[in-house]
Amino acid sequence: MLKKIFRLSVTLAIAEIKLRNEDSYLGIIWYLLNPLLIFGLLLTVFSTRLGQNIPQYPLYLLLGIIMFNFFQRATMDSTRIIQDNKIIIKSIHFPYTSLIGSIILKILFSHLIEIALFGIVLAFFHISPAGILLYPLVLAPFCLFTAGIAFMLCALTAYIVDLENIWLFASRLLWFFTPIFYAIESGSRLHALNAYNPLFHYISIAREMIIYGHIPAWWNVAAATGYALLSLAIGLAVFNNLKSKFAELI
Amino acid sequence: MHRIAAKNITKTFLIGYAKRQGALARCISMISGKEPQRRLTAIDNISFCIGPGEITGLIGANASGKSTLLRIIAGIHPVDSGTLTTEGTIISLINLHAGLKDRLLMKDNIGLCASLFGLDKKGIVQRYDSMIAFSGLEAYTGTKIYQFSSGMRQRLVFSIAVHCNPDIILLDEDFEVGDETFRIKSMQKLKELQGNGTTIILASHNLKLVQEHCTSALWLQNGKIERMGESSAAVDAYQVETGKV
Repeated sequence: MLKKIFRLSVTLAIAEIKLRNEDSYLGIIWYLLNPLLIFGLLLTVFSTRLGQNIPQYPLYLLLGIIMFNFFQRATMDSTRIIQDNKIIIKSIHFPYTSLIGSIILKILFSHLIEIALFGIVLAFFHISPAGILLYPLVLAPFCLFTAGIAFMLCALTAYIVDLENIWLFASRLLWFFTPIFYAIESGSRLHALNAYNPLFHYISIAREMIIYGHIPAWWNVAAATGYALLSLAIGLAVFNNLKSKFAELI
Repeated sequence: MHRIAAKNITKTFLIGYAKRQGALARCISMISGKEPQRRLTAIDNISFCIGPGEITGLIGANASGKSTLLRIIAGIHPVDSGTLTTEGTIISLINLHAGLKDRLLMKDNIGLCASLFGLDKKGIVQRYDSMIAFSGLEAYTGTKIYQFSSGMRQRLVFSIAVHCNPDIILLDEDFEVGDETFRIKSMQKLKELQGNGTTIILASHNLKLVQEHCTSALWLQNGKIERMGESSAAVDAYQVETGKV
């Protein structure tokens, strides 16, 4: 069954990627444009203020944007996936889990392109891009965590339509709460609060490994793993409990 | 041995309706976007069995529960009570446009649609040429689906479905649309599948088609089985009831 779900997820993701690039003159450049624009804007505004005391601030900022972008796009897409596929859901019985699988794979594709771009930027700043080879260690639990949230949002949005707008708002708040364009001091109140923010752990680990060449703090790793498993378990439980009514609700 | 066995199955839906409301309730409904709902019993405590190699016609007026029953058998809708057991792979052609992405090429759509029907990559590669040949759309593999006519789409989806080794095929009214030549070809293919043991359920308003091609018929009225048995007898009874004779 898992093999079947994965196979269908890949097929659906490829179809979506083809659709996105359909007749496009710039093709995959569009994947990079959004994070680059936000990066350029934030770098211009904050580099002399918030970024002064942060080593390699442009890299710190760009990696944060790329990782948050992955999470936000995957979760936002999940709130719309049932509505977007209503004709198929009402006509064909197939594993709905593959819809979320396809979102993760589709966003992962553009994320990997962004990470490749980040590798070039690393070289530009005279930092070895070799650290990127360690990125899958954090990307794997990050994907599981994101998939768990996506499962939950997808299922709940089928029942509570308002959740799409609520999540749009909540993810914007999360953007400001997560240290993406600023740093938080250890021991501060914001730092203590961010211990409960899974994104903080994933982004911190990636920054430590790739930009600063450090071994990440054990508690970051433990939290990242724990949040991934917890999110996936809860997400799948919610999704599996609610999925039988999807076809009736759309 | 039964391919499909339903025992006392019931399915209800919550549907919106125009309820007499006070001014306050109307304001709340307008702001919240929630409309009053009532329960509709689409399938009402029905039981039946269908064996391998049978073609069963599903007849009845609009809103009698035909499509709901097909969706229940397909596994799209769960039943509220009763039990339904099916054996083998099921392919539902409830909407002959489902599974196609307008802006993708026909060849990409074949892979996508066949995957949704449960065929693996190896199976798709093996049957790709037969699917295209059966559809008669060889000249359009590099064409995007939005440029296809409705009939071409139906031919494509039907061709994909019948090449996916189904044990049970569920066909809704859409099936009857299309040109005469393809309709005859489709029916021949269905007969061939029937001969190989595939169970076919065909929901239709075309009573002649049901009488000619179905081994049995199930007449639904307001979610209940009015009659089930040999197709000619069931169709005759339905025609007498509806005054078509």
